[in-house]
Amino acid sequence: MTLQTILQQAYDLPLSSSIRENVNAFPVIESLHVLAVAIVFGTILIVDLRLLGVAAHRRGAERLIAELLSYTWVAFLLAVITGALMFISNAVAYAANTQFLLKMVAIAVAGLNMAWFHSTAYRRISQWDEMLPPPTEARIAGLLSLLTWTTVIFLGRWIGFTLEMVF
Amino acid sequence: MTINDTPPGNRPSGICPREGKLKMSIATFGDWLYATPFSTAIRETTWVIPNIQTIHILAIAVVIGSALATELRFAGVFAMDRPPADLLRRYLPWMRRALLILLLTGLILVIAEPGRTLGNTLFWVKMALVAGASLVTLQARKAVLSESGGMTEDAVPVASRPLAWLMILIWCAIIFCGRFIAYT
Repeated sequence: MTLQTILQQAYDLPLSSSIRENVNAFPVIESLHVLAVAIVFGTILIVDLRLLGVAAHRRGAERLIAELLSYTWVAFLLAVITGALMFISNAVAYAANTQFLLKMVAIAVAGLNMAWFHSTAYRRISQWDEMLPPPTEARIAGLLSLLTWTTVIFLGRWIGFTLEMVF
Repeated sequence: MTINDTPPGNRPSGICPREGKLKMSIATFGDWLYATPFSTAIRETTWVIPNIQTIHILAIAVVIGSALATELRFAGVFAMDRPPADLLRRYLPWMRRALLILLLTGLILVIAEPGRTLGNTLFWVKMALVAGASLVTLQARKAVLSESGGMTEDAVPVASRPLAWLMILIWCAIIFCGRFIAYT
């Protein structure tokens, strides 16, 4: 079972062909993807700026993260679902697209950065909750998050301009 | 000049070029714009449109993040321990700046592909929604700041909550339309 076989099977799914054949399916899915991505980045931006030392609507970082995170996760879930639907509709083409592959790497890096932050600086958040700016570790995590997610959006847009259809 | 002679990106979306004087004027203006050196240069420099679109998307994220924070507060489901004025004070300047960036990047995109935008009904729908939402935010919401003086924390009347949800819906619709324009 090679990667090519899996990709071909994804492409051959009834769901995939219905997305390809329905003239409105891909546009709707992609538009929802853009909306989801905007919400992910917009909410993460507020937290990242706080981590960098730019105050939000409250001083406390812990409460800020808690109240925004659920919106980020719901939007991210929508982004993943719509992204997966777009992917299977043209699995072979996307898997061969450099920008798409780099985008997946960037998302992984963003995730790793988040995991690192949550297992280090975030553990001690009660110590620096009201500090502006917060400790260096938190600021690095915020900056990396901002940079990686900006890269994700940049690459995401470029996929549309570089995708080579595979027939 | 037949419909087949006009560049694909610049055909008016009407079936017959003679249909409607307004459509005609928009199409003519679009044709003129499309032919200008500036428009041509933008289109022919491969990296311009994708990167301008990326900046456009990043600015959209700033707007929706700010709009969500403020409107969800007005809806009574977010940051209820903070006075509404605090959220507006924090996010309105960001929204204003981001809307300006959206206007500028949007202008470049329209200049690059006038037919695809000015000749598209959905584009005008989006513009009307943007104007409406911006007006409500910068006027009605800004009013909260001037009367904030002795405002208690939960000073937003329950009656204004439907407007907050409507605003969120409108911003989402704008973003959806923005992408969907490419397909109509």
